[in-house]
Amino acid sequence: MANGEIVAGFLAPHPPHLVYGENPPQNEPKSEGGWEPLRWAYERARKSLDELQPDVLLVHSPHWITQVGHHFLGVRHLSGKSVDPIFPNLFRYTFELEVDVELAEACCEKAAQRGLTAMMMRNPKFRVDYGTITTLHMIRPQWDIPIVGISANNSPYYLTTEEGLDEMDTLGKATREAIEETGRRAVLLASNTLCHWHFHEEPDTPEDMSREHPQSYDGYKWDMRMIELLRQGKTAEVFRLLPQFIDEAFAEVKSGAFTWMFAAMGYPELPGELHGYGTVIGTGNAVMEWNLVKAGLAGAAAAPPSAAGDRAAYAGAMR
Amino acid sequence: MTAVSAFLVPGSPLHLLRPDNPPWRPIVAGFERAARALAMSRPDAVLLYSTQWIAVLDALWQARPRLTGAHVDENWHDYGDMAFDIRVDTDLAEACVNAVKAAGISSKSVDYDQFPIDSGTIVATRLLDPDGRFPLVMAANNLYHDAATTMRMAEIATATARAQNKKVAVVGVGGLSGTVFREPIAIEEDRIAAEEDDTWNRRILRLLEKGETGRLDAEVENYAREARVDMGFKHFAWIRGAIGGRIFGARVHGYGPAHGAGAAVIEFRL
Ligand SMILES: [Fe+2]
Repeated sequence: MANGEIVAGFLAPHPPHLVYGENPPQNEPKSEGGWEPLRWAYERARKSLDELQPDVLLVHSPHWITQVGHHFLGVRHLSGKSVDPIFPNLFRYTFELEVDVELAEACCEKAAQRGLTAMMMRNPKFRVDYGTITTLHMIRPQWDIPIVGISANNSPYYLTTEEGLDEMDTLGKATREAIEETGRRAVLLASNTLCHWHFHEEPDTPEDMSREHPQSYDGYKWDMRMIELLRQGKTAEVFRLLPQFIDEAFAEVKSGAFTWMFAAMGYPELPGELHGYGTVIGTGNAVMEWNLVKAGLAGAAAAPPSAAGDRAAYAGAMR
Repeated sequence: MTAVSAFLVPGSPLHLLRPDNPPWRPIVAGFERAARALAMSRPDAVLLYSTQWIAVLDALWQARPRLTGAHVDENWHDYGDMAFDIRVDTDLAEACVNAVKAAGISSKSVDYDQFPIDSGTIVATRLLDPDGRFPLVMAANNLYHDAATTMRMAEIATATARAQNKKVAVVGVGGLSGTVFREPIAIEEDRIAAEEDDTWNRRILRLLEKGETGRLDAEVENYAREARVDMGFKHFAWIRGAIGGRIFGARVHGYGPAHGAGAAVIEFRL
């Protein structure tokens, strides 16, 4: 068995505003800037990712929603112009990406072995969702690392949050197995916003930061509470609170990426590094990193992750 | 005069992409009958609302004169892509934006190359107007709009068309009951996934056929909740808004499943 491993996980939210604020050549609309603290947070994350030298980036996005199972991008080369249906004024981005199809297939197979409905997306004309593209641009604008793109099954919405997140736990474990067996050095990207209460109207100048603030004070307090726990490495407590957080802060982590990532990493009780926090049209966004190499849980000094980190221990608390 | 014709149709790609699958035939045949009725009503434009075009900030209206391309559905990508070539009545669309805005509903037009056109809009236009004879005015489903706001928007859009001396057809694109099969099925055995959903769908279809506005008013909300109707049945609110609120009866041209969910092609009597 090849010994691949997850070297890090990032909470990597996808407001298209961040791409718009940066003005990369790929994006048609041009801005005067905006959301700098969050973009600087991504700058630090980019530097860290660069040092990690992963073979592949795996991203789970809430904006590719599937009803029958979990789907994986399965076409080697995908390209096109991605226009955000909600913010077409901000995000019209020309992209080209390479998919690690072999790893995607392994993830799909492992998920199926664990009883999930899983399938490959083989249509070359497929339109990659804007969540996937924004997260990938923000973390690696060079687009020189192959990716695995995973859809969000709508189970947390169609069933219950708990049932949905249970599936994401299984998907995370399957993802880990696939990474290990294919020998990849992998980074996981959970493309999720935290508190998702947002404004209902956009300022005339979207990047006018005098207008940017949390939409909800309660939501903001929830974000700070969760981030503080994550910074302290109190992962078990975070997952105990997660369903309540989702309900009360309308948190986008409901779509499952965050649970998937932590399940894949084995729920390490590891302090996350906060690269930055900021609001975008009122929603709360944190860029955070769990570097398993620095923590001695991966890489040369690898040690098996704490068994106490297994989510089974928390499953009871979540119900 | 309100609209010259009015239809509620499903927006599942399955009926367009696998029209010969036996359980999907009734819907496809229903679309064929509805397409003939639409053509006979000779509208100047079609006011179309698809539950799958989702907005959250404003009421969005498509204002690009021509939209072409091939769309791959995010769920049913293995069934192939759906080519589309849609013309938009931009004068009417822009007038709708202004009129809806004037009524206090924040409203915007979108006019962008490669703007993602939703599957429902493509399915409905391909099957209702295969030759692309009628230009569209397309409004998005803002998730924060309730049925009353949706009705109001359609009412305003119809009045705006009248002010431009245009005859309009109205189309609401969306499903009926929402319980679905969450695993792959043998598609030739597709059926409405839950018996209670089937009962609910048939009951509502009967009320529509008989034009029982009062009973529909009393039941639609329960139906939407208990049968998990696609987007709370707001596509029906859109039609009601355009035809003046009252239901004078309807013809159900087809009823059947879409991977467990309920689907129907309905033509409203005007
Ligand atoms: Fe999002």
